[in-house]
Amino acid sequence: MIRDGVRRFFNLALRRRDQWEREVEDEIRLHLALRAEQFAAQGMSPDAATTEAMRRFGPLSTSRARLLDAARHREHHMQRTEFLADLKQDTSFALRTLGRQKGWTAVTVATLALGIGATTAVFSVVSSLLLHPLPYPHADRMVFVYQEPSTGNSTGISVTITPSAPVVRAWMAGSHDFEALEGYNSSTVMLQTRDQPVKYQAAQIFPTFPRFAGEKPILGRMFTAQDIARRDHLVLLGEQLWRTRYGAQRNVLGTSVTLGDSTYTVIGVLPAALRPPVIGDAPPDFWMPLDVNNNNLGMMLLGRLRPGITSAAATSELDSLVARSGTDAAAGALFRTRLAQPSDRVRFRDSLTMLSGAVLLVLLVACANVAHLLLARTAARHRELSLRAALGARRARLFRQLLTESLLLTTAGAALGVLLGWMGLRTLVAMRPSSLDELRVAHLDTTTLVVAAALTVLSGLFFGIMGAMQSAGNTAQNTVRTGTAISPGRRSERARGALVVTEMALSAMLIVGATMFMRSVSNLQHADLGFQPRGLYAVNLDLSSSRYATAASKAAVITGLTQQLNQLGTLRDITVAGDPPNSMSFSIGRFEVDGETPPPASETSFIEVKSVQPNYFRTMGIHMLRGSAFTDTTAAAGQVIVNEGFARKHWGAQSPLGHRLRIAQSDSEPWLTIVGVAADVASFGPTMENTAPMLYTPFNDMVLRSTSIIVRTGGNAASIARVRGLVRAFDPHLPVTIENVEDGTATSIATPRYVMLTLSLFTALALVLAAIGLYGVMAYAVAQRTHDIGIRIALGAPRRTVARSVILRGAALALLGAAIGLVAAHWGTRLIQHELYGVAKSDPVSFAAAVIVLLGAAAIACVVPTRRALAVDPITAIRAE
Amino acid sequence: MPALPVLKGTLDLLVLRALNWTPMHGFEIVSWLEQAAHGALDVEDSALYQALYRLEERGLLSAEWGVTGNNRKARYYRLTSAGRAYLRAETKSWVRYAETVTAILTAPRNSLPAGDAA
Repeated sequence: MIRDGVRRFFNLALRRRDQWEREVEDEIRLHLALRAEQFAAQGMSPDAATTEAMRRFGPLSTSRARLLDAARHREHHMQRTEFLADLKQDTSFALRTLGRQKGWTAVTVATLALGIGATTAVFSVVSSLLLHPLPYPHADRMVFVYQEPSTGNSTGISVTITPSAPVVRAWMAGSHDFEALEGYNSSTVMLQTRDQPVKYQAAQIFPTFPRFAGEKPILGRMFTAQDIARRDHLVLLGEQLWRTRYGAQRNVLGTSVTLGDSTYTVIGVLPAALRPPVIGDAPPDFWMPLDVNNNNLGMMLLGRLRPGITSAAATSELDSLVARSGTDAAAGALFRTRLAQPSDRVRFRDSLTMLSGAVLLVLLVACANVAHLLLARTAARHRELSLRAALGARRARLFRQLLTESLLLTTAGAALGVLLGWMGLRTLVAMRPSSLDELRVAHLDTTTLVVAAALTVLSGLFFGIMGAMQSAGNTAQNTVRTGTAISPGRRSERARGALVVTEMALSAMLIVGATMFMRSVSNLQHADLGFQPRGLYAVNLDLSSSRYATAASKAAVITGLTQQLNQLGTLRDITVAGDPPNSMSFSIGRFEVDGETPPPASETSFIEVKSVQPNYFRTMGIHMLRGSAFTDTTAAAGQVIVNEGFARKHWGAQSPLGHRLRIAQSDSEPWLTIVGVAADVASFGPTMENTAPMLYTPFNDMVLRSTSIIVRTGGNAASIARVRGLVRAFDPHLPVTIENVEDGTATSIATPRYVMLTLSLFTALALVLAAIGLYGVMAYAVAQRTHDIGIRIALGAPRRTVARSVILRGAALALLGAAIGLVAAHWGTRLIQHELYGVAKSDPVSFAAAVIVLLGAAAIACVVPTRRALAVDPITAIRAE
Repeated sequence: MPALPVLKGTLDLLVLRALNWTPMHGFEIVSWLEQAAHGALDVEDSALYQALYRLEERGLLSAEWGVTGNNRKARYYRLTSAGRAYLRAETKSWVRYAETVTAILTAPRNSLPAGDAA
C-alpha cells in the first residue's frame, strides 16, 4: 500500500472516466459471482443461485445507474480534493525549496524585479517624451503647421515662421484634410497688484481650444467667437493660479484683473490638465482670446489631421489654399507650408531613442540572467528530478511542480518589479530638469510594463520548466543507476557560456554609450561659450506700455536706470542691448555683400542682428578677433560688426574689415561697413549651433518696445538683489524681469545631463546584472568541477595551475563578450554621434573604460568561486560525490 | 421473526464498524454484516455499495484493488484515520441515543413524570 501523500506526490491516482466505470462493473460482477457461489454452496442449483443473487442485489438496471452515479460523484470530489491538495503541497514544497536556497531566490527575484522595474520606469520617461509629447486626444494625428521661406536663404539659417492670421483664416475656411486647426500664442503678462506688477504666463487661444484638447472649464465658461468679435476683454484663469492666488474661490467670476495696461473680466477657470502645446512649457496662468480676424497677428498653429491623411497631402493642400486665397499674394510666393510632428520638436531625440535602446539591452540582460540562474539551478537539481522521474513521477506531475515553483518565483519578481518601476518613475520625474517639465505628467507605461513582465516571466517559466523536464527525462535511468551526478551535458554548458558572452556584449555596449555621454556632458560643462556667463544678468525692460509712448520717454528710462546702476558701484560692467543675450531677433530681406553676386530679387534671407552698445563685447567677455568695437554709433556712420562664422563664410581667412553689406528691403537701403569681427557666441549653451552668421549693429535711440540692460556682478547674490531694489525704486510700475544669463546656458545642457545620468544609473544596473550572471556561471562551473579539482590537487597539481585553468575559462567568456560588444558599440555610437559634444565616434577612453570595467567585474566573478573551490579539502571534495 | 429494514444513516456506521479491524471487499462486508446480525437486518446488496462510495467520497474510507484468496481481483476498502475517528464518535452518540430511547420505552409507569391530563 502506498500512502496517500506519497501517491499524490508522484501523481499515481488521477483516473479517467472509462477506468472507474469499468471498476464499478467489475465490482458488481464479482459481488454477484461470490453471492451465487454462496447460494450454490448452500445447495441451490446454479441457475437459482444466480437469480437469487440478482434479487438480493436489487433491480440491476436502476441500481447499476445509482452506483455509477455515486461513483461519479466520488471521483469528481476526489479529483477536486486531490487538485487542491496538490496545489497546497506544490506551493509549500516550492516555498520550502526556494526558502532553502535563500540567496539564489533573492538574486533571481531581484533580477526579475530590477529588469522589469528599471525598464518600465525609463521607458515610461522616454515614451512620454517621444511618443506622447502632446497630451491631447488623437495625439498621433497632431501636427504643427509652420511656414518657411520657399526661395533662397543665402545666410543658411533654417527658419520656420508662424503663419499670419489671414493665412490661418484661408486654411481654416478651405481645408478638408484637417479636422481642426488651433492657433496658440504665449506671452508673459504683468498682473498689476497693489504693490508691484507680478509676471505671469499667458496664452492666447481660439474658443475651441479646450475642446480640441479634451478639456473644458472647471468653473464659469469659455469665451465665444462673438465675445472675440466684440473685442470684449475676457480672461480665464489657469487652475493653478486660481487655487494659489485666488484661494479657489467661486466668486472670482466677474471680477476684474489688470494685465499690463488693460482690464479684463474673469469669466472662468480652465483645468491644470489643459496643457499648452509647447513642449516644456508649464500650463499658463491666464487664458485669453486669440483673434483670428486680427490681421496683424501671427500664431503658432496646431492641427489635427483627418484619419488616413498624410503630411504630404496636407502640406500641398495648405500650399494651394494660400496660393488661391489671394489675400496675401506675397506670402504665397515667399513661404511654403511645413508640417512638423510634435516629437520632431523634442531635442536630443536620438539620445532618448538610444536610452530606450539601452532599456531593451538591460531587459535582455535581465532575461538572460533569469534564464541562466534557472539553468544553473536545474543542473544542480538534476539528481532530485531524475530520482523522482525514476520513481514513477509522471511528467505532467513534475511539470506542475516546476510550474508552481517558477510561477511563485516570477510572480514575486514581477510584483516587486511593478513596485520598483513605479518608484523609479517617481524618482526620474522628481529628478527632471526644467527643460523637460512635461515629465511632470509622465505615467507608468502599461504596455512596457506588460511586455517587460511578460518577457522576463516567460523566460523564467521557459528555462525553469523546459530545462528541468529535459534534464529529468533524458537521463533519469543513467543517473539513478550509476549514482553519480553526471554533468548535465555539454549542450547546457555551452548555452550558459553563450548567455555570459551575450550579457558581457550588452554590458560593453552600455558602458561605451554611458561613458561617451558622461564625457560629452563634462565637455559641455567646460565648453568655451565665446563669452563669460558667470555673474552676468540681463535686466529686461518692457517699454511697450503707454507710459513710455515716446522715444524720448523710453530713452529717459534707459539712461536714468543705467546712470543709477553705475552709481551703485558694485557692478563690474553695464551695457545696453536691444535684446537679452539669450534671445534672437532677425532681420529679413535680400542679403547683399559688396563684391559678391547680388542675390535674385525674390530672395528672402534671415540673419540674426543684435543692436548693442560698444562696451557690450567687454561686458559679455566676447573677444574681438579683428578690428574693434564701434567707434561711431550713429546711423550715418553705418558701422557693423560680424561674428567669426560670418567672416569665415564670406572671406575665409581673409580680413573682412572694410567690406560692406546690407539687408535690403529696397535699393535705397544704406550699406554698412564692417569694422570688427567678434568671436562666435553660444549664448544658448554649447549644444546649440553658434557659428551661424550674425551681425552687431550699434544700439542707438531707435524706438524699441523692449530693451535689456546687461550687468556683470562680482558673482554674489547681494549685488543682484541691490539691482532689483534699485530698479523697483526707479519706477514701481515698470515691468522688469531679471534673468541670470548663466541659467540660460545651463538649461540647454540639462537634457543631455539628465539622459547621461539616467543612462549611467542604468548602465551600472546592467553591469551588476551581468556580473551576477557571470558570477553565477563561474560559481556553478566551479561547483561542478569541485570533484575534479579535488582529484587534481590530491594528485599534486599546484593550486595555482588549477586556479588559472578555472579563471581562464571565465576570462575567455568575458573577453569574447566584450569584443563582440565593442564592435557593436562602435557601430551603434554612430547613431548618437551628432548629439555628443567633443567626443569622437571611436572615443578610445570610452572603449577602454568598457574593457577595464568588464574585466574587473569578470575577475571578481571568477576569483571568488575559485578561491572557495580551492579552499575545499581534496578528500572531502572527492568523497562528496 | 422477519428481517428488519436498516434505519436511515445506520448503514454507514455498520459498514465502518465492519472495517474496524481489517480491510475487506464489498462481499466480505455484506457477509460480515449478515453474520453479525444473525440475519436480523435486511440490506439490499447494491445499497451497501452505494454507502461504500459515499463514505469514500467523504474521505472516511479509502479503496485499493487487491487480490482475494481465490485469486480474484477485488476492491478492498479500509478505514482512513478520519473514518476511524468518525466511527468512534458516531458509535458513542448512537449508543447514547439507543439507550435513552430504550430506557423510555421500557421503563415502568411510576418512574416517569406524570402528564398534565392525568
